[in-house]
Amino acid sequence: MREIDARGLACPAPVLQTKAALQEESPNGVRVVVDNAASQQNVQRFLESQGFQTVLEQVESDYVVIGNCESMSSARPHPATESHGDAKKIMVMCASDRLGSGDDVLGLKLMVNFLRTLKEMGDELWRLVFVNNGVKLTIEGSYVLEDLKAYESAGIKILVCGTCLDHFSILEKKRAGETTNMLDIVTAMQLADKVINI
Amino acid sequence: MTFPSDENVIIGLDRADDAGVYRISDDLALIQTVDFFTPIVDDPYWFGQIAAANALSDVYAMGGTPKTAMNLVAFPVKTMDLSILRQIIQGGVDKLEEAEVVLIGGHSIDDKEIKYGLSVTGFIHPERVLAKKNLQPGDCLVLTKPLGTGIVNTAIKAAMSSEQLTQKVTRLMAMLNRDAARIMADFDISACTDVTGFGLIGHLAEMVKGSGCSAKVDSGQVPVIPEAEEFAAMGLIPAGAYKNREFSEQMITFAETVPRTLQDLLFDPQTSGGLMISVSDVQCDDLISALKEGGIADAARIGDVVDSQEEVISVI
Repeated sequence: MREIDARGLACPAPVLQTKAALQEESPNGVRVVVDNAASQQNVQRFLESQGFQTVLEQVESDYVVIGNCESMSSARPHPATESHGDAKKIMVMCASDRLGSGDDVLGLKLMVNFLRTLKEMGDELWRLVFVNNGVKLTIEGSYVLEDLKAYESAGIKILVCGTCLDHFSILEKKRAGETTNMLDIVTAMQLADKVINI
Repeated sequence: MTFPSDENVIIGLDRADDAGVYRISDDLALIQTVDFFTPIVDDPYWFGQIAAANALSDVYAMGGTPKTAMNLVAFPVKTMDLSILRQIIQGGVDKLEEAEVVLIGGHSIDDKEIKYGLSVTGFIHPERVLAKKNLQPGDCLVLTKPLGTGIVNTAIKAAMSSEQLTQKVTRLMAMLNRDAARIMADFDISACTDVTGFGLIGHLAEMVKGSGCSAKVDSGQVPVIPEAEEFAAMGLIPAGAYKNREFSEQMITFAETVPRTLQDLLFDPQTSGGLMISVSDVQCDDLISALKEGGIADAARIGDVVDSQEEVISVI
């Protein structure tokens, strides 16, 4: 259990110290001690984003966060590796906002239906990635916005290509998913058991 | 504790608002406000710009026009190079010029810690003062700048923000609320305030308390700085956000589907944030179109005002 004493440090130093410790040693367990509730919350959020289960404690005037990570995480603590249990990991990559070519109206209808039906994959649906025109499905006004948000609430990570959003000048219109880069997308492809390209 | 007052005070300490307003004649009232703080960004010139935009904002939030300002300066003259102070003041002066406000004086003291801001005077017609506490049931709520400056500033401190994002957020904080104020003057605005240190929820709570109304916020419609959500997930949240949450917790309910990161953004203390405007429902779409056409690209309808003595805020 790696002990980190971040008392007396102003925000965001406790998170940075914890991050550095994870990067140096990839411990499976950490115990971080801070001196205020806000830092405790921040360290908890950080550890959870890195795949740790957390428990909060208060010991006199110390605020403690205990983090445990069962699975052996990769050497890089970022991007987040949340535990997915034993279920297969399926990644679906949408490179367009239409399914198929020939008729755009039909294509949109099919894509909306496809994205809504993906929930039938149950636990195996792991990542939804949007690139090129696909990013337009994640912006305000998109017919599938509520569905995408529901997937996020259910723990499915949605990655939206930042370069693409910039290219279409719609970065600030994104309403679902996390903005991501090519490295994250390639890493997700590598970690997935199955990659489906639409 | 009692404070001196007289019958010409339109907005004073008993109706605390964004600024004080004092009647001069039947068609003229004076707006007075003051704001200063410690450095928000590393660049002294941009710190000056942001401090000035922030001080002027309270006049715009009352529906008024700022006209004169005075500098408030605290600076470690013995230990820091005066050229830094010069850049801060230049930033402030340039922002005043942009706002067509004249600098007519100021005061400075020697201090270990740098502080800068302004005392601002503006004018308004006594019948057109936009207080905070005048929400009308059926109104819709409009926000003119995206949320997230507190969280991004924390990420900047952690050296986790890209240069591009840092620039974008600096400019966002330095942006005047003047254009938004000018545009809203053509509409029937019930109430208005600017979103700053208490976060969106905190400032909305101020509008709700004592209004006889409740507010519903659609979290999916609130404009946010996209990267701020990711930073929030990593715990780069300023302590002020937690204080803001604690303070308003009793009157807020969140639907289960509102992700924690979005909740964090709603409590995130803003620096020089946008205007939160309560406008009649029939004029809402027109107001938003007018704001967007006027260059306020992020303007969005974020919720509604309902008739309810409970005076609560529900976020979906």
